[in-house]
Amino acid sequence: MSEMDPREAEIDSLLRRSMAAPVPRLPPDFDQVVAREARRRSQGPQRYGRILLAGYGVMSAAVSVVLMRGQGLGWGMIAAMTLGPLAVVEAVRRLRRKQLEVAAATWQEHRG
Amino acid sequence: MNSDSQLVARAQDGDEEAFAELFRRHGDPVFRLALSILGQAFAAEAQDVVQEVFLKVHHALASFRGEAEVGSWIYRITFNQAVNLKARARYQRPHLDEAALTHAVAAEPGPYAQVESAQRDQALGECIQTLPEVYQSALRLYYWLGASVAEVAALLDVPENTAKSYLHRARQLLGGMLKEKGYSYV
Repeated sequence: MSEMDPREAEIDSLLRRSMAAPVPRLPPDFDQVVAREARRRSQGPQRYGRILLAGYGVMSAAVSVVLMRGQGLGWGMIAAMTLGPLAVVEAVRRLRRKQLEVAAATWQEHRG
Repeated sequence: MNSDSQLVARAQDGDEEAFAELFRRHGDPVFRLALSILGQAFAAEAQDVVQEVFLKVHHALASFRGEAEVGSWIYRITFNQAVNLKARARYQRPHLDEAALTHAVAAEPGPYAQVESAQRDQALGECIQTLPEVYQSALRLYYWLGASVAEVAALLDVPENTAKSYLHRARQLLGGMLKEKGYSYV
């Protein structure tokens, strides 16, 4: 701030005087309050969401198996077509996690 | 020690301790940023902002792809949340009653000096309120909350030179406004 002209320096001094006031702080247990609230908000929808998703998955798999069997497909092919997409989803999830870890390592390396 | 990105990756897998560590690292800066946007009279609202920001972060963890730094991401959410709250709170009374104001004035020496100083401070406060949000925030961070230019830059997610120019421009604008209102500020 050394490049201030005299008028700006006066405003600087006024702002320092005028804005001097105690600084509030977060309550010491505030992290626990937030963690509790985050848990409360995420648990309800997550549980019902998972139950709903699992039910939908089981139902659609059962219907698919019946239909594919009706079309004369063998059990091996049916298993591959049902479990294949699940394997792809899991592989993508792992790949994304790995990318995040690489990004974190690169970032840390970059910082020092 | 884990980096922020590693903490996010752990939190994405449901590690609550990782989320708690993120709060320990960023809770205080988020509170300061919220205070700098809302102003001195809205400390309680700034706490609400902190809670809402971390609940949003918790909710959005699954979709965070690591394209931005975690701190920048959190501070951007904070800025938006606080500005939205400020727009809603603008028409509410601040949490200061008449007694508190009288007490604040009485703490200064000399009756004329008190009145003049209080009027000038009030005028300055009103002028600050008319500045763009980033200028207001930069001023409060620097002059009230004691942040360095580097901290102001980090919290507003801008380069240091930009933070310096925010402060410079804000001072220039305030000088002009106070002069227009007929106040001397020396």
